[in-house]
Amino acid sequence: MRTLFISATIFIFSLVFSSIAHAQNARRLAPDSLKNAPFDPHDLSGVWWGVLARGANFGLGGTIPPMTPWAVERYKAAKPGLGGSGRAQPLGNDPMMNCDPMGFPRIMFWTNYPIEIVQLPKRTMMFFDWFYTYRTIWTDGRKLPEDPEPRWYGNSVGQWEGDTFVVRSTGFDDRTWLDADGHPHSEDMKLEERYRRVDHNTIEITMTLTDSKAFTKPWLGDTMSLRLADSSVEMREDVCVPSEEQRYKELIRNPAGGATKPN
Amino acid sequence: MKRALRPCLFLWVGIIAMGFPVLAHHGSRISYDMTKMVTVKGVIKEVHFVNPHVYFTFEVKDDQGHVTEWGAETDPPITMIDRYGWSRSYLKAGDEVTVTVWPSKVGAPRGFLAKLVTADGKVTDHTQQLPPQ
Repeated sequence: MRTLFISATIFIFSLVFSSIAHAQNARRLAPDSLKNAPFDPHDLSGVWWGVLARGANFGLGGTIPPMTPWAVERYKAAKPGLGGSGRAQPLGNDPMMNCDPMGFPRIMFWTNYPIEIVQLPKRTMMFFDWFYTYRTIWTDGRKLPEDPEPRWYGNSVGQWEGDTFVVRSTGFDDRTWLDADGHPHSEDMKLEERYRRVDHNTIEITMTLTDSKAFTKPWLGDTMSLRLADSSVEMREDVCVPSEEQRYKELIRNPAGGATKPN
Repeated sequence: MKRALRPCLFLWVGIIAMGFPVLAHHGSRISYDMTKMVTVKGVIKEVHFVNPHVYFTFEVKDDQGHVTEWGAETDPPITMIDRYGWSRSYLKAGDEVTVTVWPSKVGAPRGFLAKLVTADGKVTDHTQQLPPQ
């Protein structure tokens, strides 16, 4: 019996670790040998893979502040289709499942796909392979607009404070979710992101979300990181195509979830 | 032998502690019963190598000749290419396949791909991976 217990332990332990190692290998990372290579702390350029804090549930993580009644209503109406909160259901109404824009910051948390950062003289661009979209962070000294038109990816300005690149954003379209669990935000949302390159292979990011219409206190997220991708990784054009998603629902998701009878 | 048991207990505690967040993060194929697998043989009808899920349908004939159309989904193209060496032409209509899926909870002939074996012996094995996301 003891021998069986020990053997089972070793087998399961090996399985767990080999699975994790294999899962991570698919996201090809720059070799660890480069971690201690010299780097410019003001250089964020490159292709990166996002890594969330444990338990972040494809979102900011951290302690979620209490929601206002306005936000509670929206949260109740949101029916997640994935995620680990326990609210997910087979036929949810996650906007992503219609290929509607993920918006910012949620697209940062969809870490199956790489992100490319390009620094230009007066702006920094972030390209997202998922949805094959981008955002512009203006670094030419301009101020945020006072009454911005809401945008899926907001209006953003950035500046260096020491070795931290601080991005402030406003003017977000309130149709996007903040995370896989369906936490809402309003058009009043303001976001501060702080990027710090801590070694050749890693950028650490913290975000603070302030939205008094939706949350009674600012929401400080967990620290997430960007890990430098292997030089072989390219942006692939991973577009979410509405007509393809519709066909997928008809053929797979809806029958599997019990909404329609299969063909 | 008792000396060997104590580290084992610690390992089990570690595995359980690690496993919960991992499952919370990945255990989202809410339509499928991840506790059991079903294996069927069939012929590929349609292949969709698209985001966010690669999926295919295939026809399964029973002993009486009755044909049921099954469907299986798997990871997005980026993962199928990088992890399993798939391409757009990996599967095509008419291919004979043996398909193991984590089946639909409601009993529909749909599932999340656990293992695929083609007639020429190519194997895609999801069963040694973390539960699908």
